[in-house]
Amino acid sequence: MNLFLYLDKDTAIHRLDPRTKLALLLGSFVAAVLFQRPGPLFALLLILLVYGAFGRSLENLRRIWFLLLGIAIFSIASWSVFARGTTPLLWRVTQESLAYGVGAAIKIDGMIISGLIFLSTTRIEEVVLGLIRLRVPYQAAFAFSLGIRMVPTIIGTAMTVIEAQRSRGLDLESGGPLARLRNHIPLLVPIFLQTLRGTDQLAKALESRGFGARRERTSYLEIGFHAADALALILGALSLAVFLGVRFAR
Amino acid sequence: MAVIRLDEVSFRYRGATESALSGITCHIGRGELVGLLGRSGSGRSTLASTLNGTIPHLVRGDLRGQVHIGGEDIRAMRPRDLADRVGFVFQDFEAQLFSTNVALEVAFGPENLGVPRGEISRRVDRYLRLVRLEGLRHKAPAGLSGGQKQRLALASVLALEPQVLVLDEPTSDLDPAGRQDLLTAIRHRRQESPITLVMIDPEIDELGWMDRLIVLDGGRVALDGTPAALWTATDALEGLGLRGFTLARLATALGVGGRWESADEAAAAIRAAGWHVREGAADGLHRAVAGHETGEILLEVEDLTHRYPDGTEALSGVALAIRRGEFVAILGQNGSGKTTLVKHLNGILRPTGGQIRLSGQSLRGQPPTRLSRLVGLVFQNPDHQIFAERIRDEVAFGPRLQGLAEGEIAQRVEEALDAVGLEGAGDLDPFLLTKGGRQRVAVASTLATKPEVIILDEPTTGLDPRELDGMMALIQRLNRAGHTIVIITHAMGVAAAYARRVVLMRNGRIVRDGTTREIFSDEAELRALGLTPPPAVQVANRLGIPALTPDELIASLVRTSQPPNLRASEPRS
Repeated sequence: MNLFLYLDKDTAIHRLDPRTKLALLLGSFVAAVLFQRPGPLFALLLILLVYGAFGRSLENLRRIWFLLLGIAIFSIASWSVFARGTTPLLWRVTQESLAYGVGAAIKIDGMIISGLIFLSTTRIEEVVLGLIRLRVPYQAAFAFSLGIRMVPTIIGTAMTVIEAQRSRGLDLESGGPLARLRNHIPLLVPIFLQTLRGTDQLAKALESRGFGARRERTSYLEIGFHAADALALILGALSLAVFLGVRFAR
Repeated sequence: MAVIRLDEVSFRYRGATESALSGITCHIGRGELVGLLGRSGSGRSTLASTLNGTIPHLVRGDLRGQVHIGGEDIRAMRPRDLADRVGFVFQDFEAQLFSTNVALEVAFGPENLGVPRGEISRRVDRYLRLVRLEGLRHKAPAGLSGGQKQRLALASVLALEPQVLVLDEPTSDLDPAGRQDLLTAIRHRRQESPITLVMIDPEIDELGWMDRLIVLDGGRVALDGTPAALWTATDALEGLGLRGFTLARLATALGVGGRWESADEAAAAIRAAGWHVREGAADGLHRAVAGHETGEILLEVEDLTHRYPDGTEALSGVALAIRRGEFVAILGQNGSGKTTLVKHLNGILRPTGGQIRLSGQSLRGQPPTRLSRLVGLVFQNPDHQIFAERIRDEVAFGPRLQGLAEGEIAQRVEEALDAVGLEGAGDLDPFLLTKGGRQRVAVASTLATKPEVIILDEPTTGLDPRELDGMMALIQRLNRAGHTIVIITHAMGVAAAYARRVVLMRNGRIVRDGTTREIFSDEAELRALGLTPPPAVQVANRLGIPALTPDELIASLVRTSQPPNLRASEPRS
């Protein structure tokens, strides 16, 4: 089972320089936090979906739809009830609070989708290389990438441990809140210890492959700015300018 | 000149009371092929860890004496500084791969060393071709088979172009074909230019092609010689808790001199010495197991299909019936669906097609606990389940979850600990035990729930010969006491010596299901599935006897000229 998000395809988005994609990612975050109203946020979401479609990365949405849907439902339900508004709709729900909830849902989901597109179209190694070119120290950039890479490993360990303990009859859902918490001890101890052993192995493997041996490291991958990067950055900057205009123009 | 020089090397892990290595002196020449043997705790891995400076730089402890690699003192060189001189391949092929595709994995080492891009590209091509992964360069390492992963690990180390290659049990988790392919890649690399090789392998039979074998015991060098010199040292090796060469044991028992490199040579020499198959021996062997498998069907799998959420079909149309009292081995290459199949047998996985019947009753719509009460599954790695601070609590975990009374639980724990040979150890911390000991705790934990069927996934991986014999004797005792046993194993010798029935799997299907004797005598079919019978069985097949162990083989032969050299041999059960 592949736990990485990267989709190995050859699209215009995949070929963009990782720094360009990082800039677009940050731009989308800035645009998202500008607004509370659903209208502009919806426009942003559409732009992101088009961008993602160009990178043929939207199939990954299938893998996190439950997360997106959960966030949307939770956000709309809670903000509708708790946010304040003036035009009553139903019970404590007002037109304004509902709009706020919908806006918050699109905002968070949009940011997740933007991150998803980035990870679906950019190799971790490219991200590292991009960060290094942005003068982030190699060790720090690599540590960041290892963090991302460890996630699937830890999930894999956790799945095996859960299966092992379930086959001994462990039922996580039984008992009251305290008992449920205690049910997790047989999972947490082996997961923690295995992860610790894994990182120890990893440290040895990394060192034995010369990690950190030289200050100057070369790169097998090549990245660089091309015409497409300029075009993407201009389109991104223009969109952001429009969003800023909508937000701050009176 | 020696490329590796160890002089009076001792090492004690921090917090340990005893030294892992005590006064080891050994020099290894350029291009020498060295096999490193020893029981667990003998210091094999510790010694290997000094060869690239992992000890003392990454592992804390007290190092005495001198270790020089290519003239450099390892105290002054970290592993990363030695990376272009000493390549290290580990047993765990998952933990040493961290890139997103095959080519980048190989490039990682040279990149660290600042090798120019053109040269990196040349090395990537060259070493991927050497390990025959050139067609998979864009694939993610996670999607490769175990054997491919280990070959990728080898290529990514070779890309650093080291003079010394250290391999710490690189084939323990591989099926026979994966092991063969890895060794072939190493041989190809050697044909290009000399490279010094230090390889740890628990199986001496796999090390016959080395120049030199060093056997450690209690942190000291116990034996050091060529495979030819150790050919006759079976008794000494057994005294150190190891096994001698299987073919050498045959030669000694049959009173035939000379050293045999292959089963063909062995069979020819045995014939030439006047030995031939005793009349009726084959029939006797076949009869020995007949009449065993008459128990009623406990578990029945019908047209079982399992498709993972991402669409991969791990099992397709599997049909299998397990009878009470059987001892079944499931064999097949890494990724053939063995583990997925047994996870269905105890209810961890639900079939996506087909069904499972328990004593004739369909389990569709039944809670998974119905199966898990009847079928206990011991996972491959005990460290995926051990969590308690005392062995007693660990073993009591299952019975407690079944809601048994404390008195009953205590009694079951004692019984289970007795059965696995851990009597009186209930209050110890399971994490202080060796791998073999922790494996026993895992078996005891399953036993304490009193399942009728016990499934063990790779129960002998990482165990030394003595621990392996102990584990298999335990499983055989459980079988004799009435438990139905199913094991998954890559250790062909284990399957041949203990299982009465063998199920062969390939690509999620069962391709053959029969008695161990039938299946092991069809060597061509096994090889087509990437499996190789153990050496004694290979010799037996060449002599035309369905013997499964050296003892059976010896007992089946008679000498024409002189009375047969009969040895006391324990009959198979």
